[in-house]
Amino acid sequence: MRTEIISAKKNLPLFFSPALILIVLFVLFPVLQTIYISFFSSSGEFVGLDNYHDVLTSKEILNLGDVSQGLSQPYGLGALVHNMLWILIHLPLSMFSGLALAIILRDVKGASVVKSAIFLGMVTPMIVGGLILQFTFEEGVGIVNGFFNILGLEQLTRTWTAHPETALFAVIFGSVWLWTGFSLIVYSAGLATIPREYYEAAKIDGATPFRTFFRITFPLLKPMTLVVITMTLLWELKIFDIVWAAVGEGGGPGQASNVLALQMYVWAFRSFDFNRAAAVATILTALTLVVSVWMIRYMVKK
Amino acid sequence: MDDQVYGEKMKIRKSTIIVHIIAWSVALIWVLPFLGVFMAATRPWGEISHGWWNFAEFNPTFENFVAAWTDERASIAVGMLNSFLVAIPSTVMPMLVASLAGYGFARFSFPIRNYLFLTIVLIMAIPQQMIAVPIFQIMSSLGLVSNYIGLILVHSAWGLAWIILFMRNYFLTLPVEIEEAARVDGASDFKIFYKIVLPMALPALASVAVLQFMWVWNDFFLAQILIYDPEMLLATQRVSRMRGQYIVSWDLLSAASILVMIVPVLIFALLQKYYIKGMVGWTVKG
Amino acid sequence: MKMPTTMENVITVLVLIAIVTSAGSLWYGLTVADDVGTLTDSVATLVDQMGDLATSVASVATSVADLATATTADLAAIADDITAISDRVKEVEKEIGPTLTVIGPWSGAEMDAFLPVLAAFENKTGTKVSYRIYRAEDLAPILPAQFAAGQAPGDVIFMWNWFIQEKGEEGHILEVTGLIDEADFRPGVLDLVKVDNKLYGGAYTGKGKPGFWYRKSFFTANGLTVPTTWAEFLTLVDDIAAIPGIVNPILSGDGVGWPLSDITEHFIATYGGPQLHRDLTNGTVAWNSTQVETLFTDRIVPLLDGDFSDPKTWDTYIENWWNGSEYGLYFMGSWITGMVDDPTDLGVFSLPEAPGAEGVVFSADYFFVPAYTEHPKEALELFEFLASEEGQSHQVAEGGHIATNINVPLDAYPPGVDTDMAIAMTGKETLLDLDDTIGGEFQTTFWSQLQLLWVQPAQLDAVLDAIEAKAP
Repeated sequence: MRTEIISAKKNLPLFFSPALILIVLFVLFPVLQTIYISFFSSSGEFVGLDNYHDVLTSKEILNLGDVSQGLSQPYGLGALVHNMLWILIHLPLSMFSGLALAIILRDVKGASVVKSAIFLGMVTPMIVGGLILQFTFEEGVGIVNGFFNILGLEQLTRTWTAHPETALFAVIFGSVWLWTGFSLIVYSAGLATIPREYYEAAKIDGATPFRTFFRITFPLLKPMTLVVITMTLLWELKIFDIVWAAVGEGGGPGQASNVLALQMYVWAFRSFDFNRAAAVATILTALTLVVSVWMIRYMVKK
Repeated sequence: MDDQVYGEKMKIRKSTIIVHIIAWSVALIWVLPFLGVFMAATRPWGEISHGWWNFAEFNPTFENFVAAWTDERASIAVGMLNSFLVAIPSTVMPMLVASLAGYGFARFSFPIRNYLFLTIVLIMAIPQQMIAVPIFQIMSSLGLVSNYIGLILVHSAWGLAWIILFMRNYFLTLPVEIEEAARVDGASDFKIFYKIVLPMALPALASVAVLQFMWVWNDFFLAQILIYDPEMLLATQRVSRMRGQYIVSWDLLSAASILVMIVPVLIFALLQKYYIKGMVGWTVKG
Repeated sequence: MKMPTTMENVITVLVLIAIVTSAGSLWYGLTVADDVGTLTDSVATLVDQMGDLATSVASVATSVADLATATTADLAAIADDITAISDRVKEVEKEIGPTLTVIGPWSGAEMDAFLPVLAAFENKTGTKVSYRIYRAEDLAPILPAQFAAGQAPGDVIFMWNWFIQEKGEEGHILEVTGLIDEADFRPGVLDLVKVDNKLYGGAYTGKGKPGFWYRKSFFTANGLTVPTTWAEFLTLVDDIAAIPGIVNPILSGDGVGWPLSDITEHFIATYGGPQLHRDLTNGTVAWNSTQVETLFTDRIVPLLDGDFSDPKTWDTYIENWWNGSEYGLYFMGSWITGMVDDPTDLGVFSLPEAPGAEGVVFSADYFFVPAYTEHPKEALELFEFLASEEGQSHQVAEGGHIATNINVPLDAYPPGVDTDMAIAMTGKETLLDLDDTIGGEFQTTFWSQLQLLWVQPAQLDAVLDAIEAKAP
C-alpha cells in the first residue's frame, strides 16, 4: 500500500514546526544543558569527568566494598545495584506472570473484569501505589503480615519496608504487583491475534500443551515480548514515585532501597548539588538509551 | 459413544471450573491491597491497627473522605481541580501538535525524515530526571515556576515523542487514495489533514487523549519540580504532602489516595477500549 | 475554485497563534485572577477611604468657615474638633498603610496557634499582616531565583537557620545586628543565624524535646514509677515489657525519620553532656570516635534489642500507645500535648542520672526579613515583635511552644505540661536540635542511618562512619 504523497515542500514547516519548537525548547535544550553542567563544578569551573567519578565512587550509588554485608550496611549496595536488582527480579516476574495470566484468562468468562482488577495497579498514580505498598507491608496492619499470620509463620511478620535487608525486595515485589497488568494486557491482545487453527492443528498432531506453548505461542508473541521488555526496562530504570512514597525521601533504612532517580532528586533539590545530579541523570539516560536503541534496531529490521 | 462424549464434556467442565476459580482468586488477591486502603479510609484506626480483615468491630464512616476533600492545607478538591487544569491542556495541545507532525512523517518524504523520526523515538527513552534541573532553571527565569503554563508546556513537549510515533503509525494504516483524490481536487495539504484525515483518525486520537491525560494526571515528578505554591499543588502532590509533616494520619492519607485514584480508574473503566488500543498500538509497526 | 495556498497557510498559522495566545492568556488569567481580585478589592477600599478623607476635609473646611463668621466664644470647642479630625486622619493613614506578608510552615492547628500572635501585632501597631503557608523545603528551591530577580514572596519569612546564614552572607537578607539584644535570648540561639558577628535572622519560639512521655493513669494502674537512676530506668522498661498486651515498652515514632534523631540527641545530651552535643554539631568531635561509640554501645544499643519498637511510620500509632496500651513510653516533642485527648494525663521524664551538666534539646524557629521587601520599616517592626518578650508570650500562651526570649515569664505558659516543660528548661542548658542546625545532606543521611541502626544494631560502626562522612 502506498503511503506517501509527493509533498509540497513548503508545507513542511507548518506540520513540523510546532512540534519541533516545543521539543527543542523543552526537551532537547534541557537535555543538552544537563549534559553540559555535568562536566562542571558548582563554582563554574570545568572539571571534566570528575562529577562522574564522584558519582560512581560514592557509596550512595555504588557500594560494593563489602558485599558480604549485603543490604544491611549503610547505603545498601548502592542505588545503581538496586536498580539492577530491580530489573533482575521485576522484569521476568511481571512478564511471565502477565503471560501466564493472559493464557489462563483466555477462555474465562468475565475475563475483562479480572484483567481490569489486575490492571488497576497500572492506572493508579505511582505515588499512591507506593503509599499502598507502605501500608501493605506494615507490621500488624498490612495483609502481607496477615498472610504470614494465617499460615502460622508469625516469626516472619515485621514491617518489611523498615528493615534494610527486606525493604528493597518488598518494594520490588510490590511493583510487580502493580506492573503485571501491563504485560497481561499486551499479551492478551497478542494472544487474540493467534488464529485458533494453529492450536487445533497442534492438537491434531498430538502436541502437549507445553510444546504448543513453546513452539507456537511464545514465538508468535515475540513482538509483544519485545514491547513488554523494553517498556518495563525503561520503567525500572526510572523508578521514583514508588520508592519515594513507600520508604520516603531518604530511600529507606540506611538508604537500602535507594534508586538512581531518587538520589538524583535528592542531590538536585535537597543538597542543591546540580552538577552531581546532572551526572547521575546522564548516566541514567545512557542506560535508557541503550535499551531503546536495542528496541529500535528490532523495529527497523522489520 | 454417548458415554464418551459425555465423559469428554465432563472433563472440559472440570478444567474450565478450575481455571475459573484460579482466575477469580487471582483477581481477588490482586485487589486485596486496594481493599486494605479502602478499609483504612473508612474505619477508625483502632479497628484496623491489627489487621483490617478483622470485622469484630465495624464502624465505617466517610468522614475521612470529607476531611481529605476539604482539608485546609492540602484540600483534595482543589488539588483535583488543579490537576484538571493542567491535564486537559496538556492533553489537547500535544494531540494537535503531534498529529500534525505524525502526519508529516507518514505522508511527506524529505531527506532528513528518517533521522528526525529516529531522534524523536529516542527521546521517548529519556527519563524526566534528565531535564529536571534545566527545566526548573528555564521556568525560573521565565517566571513560570508555580505557574501552570510552565508545567503544561513541559508536559506537552514531553508527550510529543510518543504521540508522534503513535499517530504516525496510525496514519500509515490509512489508505492514501482518499487524500490523493482530494489533492487532485485542489485542496491544500493542511485542508486535507484537517478535514479528511483527522476525522478518520478519531479512534486513535481517543486513545491518545486517554493515555496522555492519565499520564499527566498521575505525574508527580514534574509537578514536584515546578509547583510550590501551596494553593496550586496538584492532586498527586497533595497526597504525598499529607504524610511527612509533624502529624500524619493514615486514615486521612488513605482517603486522599482513593479520591485521587478515582479519576484515572473511572476513565479506565469507561474508556477501556481506547486505553488498551492505545497501549497495544505500540506493537503495530508501520 | 483554487485558493492561493500560501495565503491560506499564513492565515491558518496566524489563527493557530491566536488560539494558543488566547488560551495562554486565559490560563494565565485564571492563575492570576485571584491577584486581580485582591487588587480590585484593595482599590475599592482605597477609594472608600479617599471618600472618608474627603468628607473629613470637607468638615474641616466648614469649621474654618464657622470660625471666620463666629464670635470669639467657644474656642475650646473648636480646638476639640480639630484634634478629633487629625486623629481621624491618622487612623485613615494607618488603614491605607501597608499589609505585611508573613510566610511560615504552619498549617491546620499549628497555624491557628500562630495567627493570634499576628493579630496582637496588628492591634498594637495597626499594620495589617497576612499569612501564607510554605514549607521550608518548598521555599528552598524558589527563593534563590526570586532573590536573583530582586524579589521576595514575603516580608518576614521563616526558614532553616543555615539557609538564613547562607543567604545573609550573599547579601539577600537585611542585616539586623543590634536590632535585638542577644542577652535577651537563650545562650547560643542567635549564633545560628549569625555570620561573622553579623546577625541576619531572629529567633522565635520552638519546641522542646524533653524526654519520654507516658500516660499517668497507665503508670498508676500498673504500679510504675518515674525512674531516678539509670538502673531504675532499665527496670522500668523491663517491667513494662512484662505487662500483658505490651508489644514493645518504648514506641519509636518515625515519619520521615526525625523522631529517632530526637531520641538519639536526648541520649547524647544527657549522657554525653551538652558540650559533646555542641561539639558534634560543630564537627569538632567525630561520630565514630570512641567517646560517641561507647555512648551508643552502653546506652542505646542494649535497648534496641526489643525494648524500642520498630520505627513506626505513622503517628496513628499514638492511639496504640495512648488508648491501646500496647506501648509504655513514647519519646516526643512538646507538641504531643496537642495530639492526645487528655493532656492532663500526660507525664514526662528525662533520662535519669546524667553524669554531668544536663542539656535539653530544643528546636527553635528562625525568621528573617529579605532585602527586597517593600516595607522594610514595618517588616523590621514585626521582626522585633516576634523576637520580643511580648510577641513570644502571646505564642507560648497558645500552648506547645517554648520561648527563646528569656524574659518571657513563666506565667505566660498555660498551666500543666507546658509550664512543667518551661520550668524544666530553665534549669538546664538549651541545646539546639543537631540535625536541624546542620541541615542539608547530613540531615537526611542522619535520619536514614538511624532508621538502619534501629533495626540492625549490629551495624553501629558502619552507621557511625556513614554519619561522620556527612558531618561538618
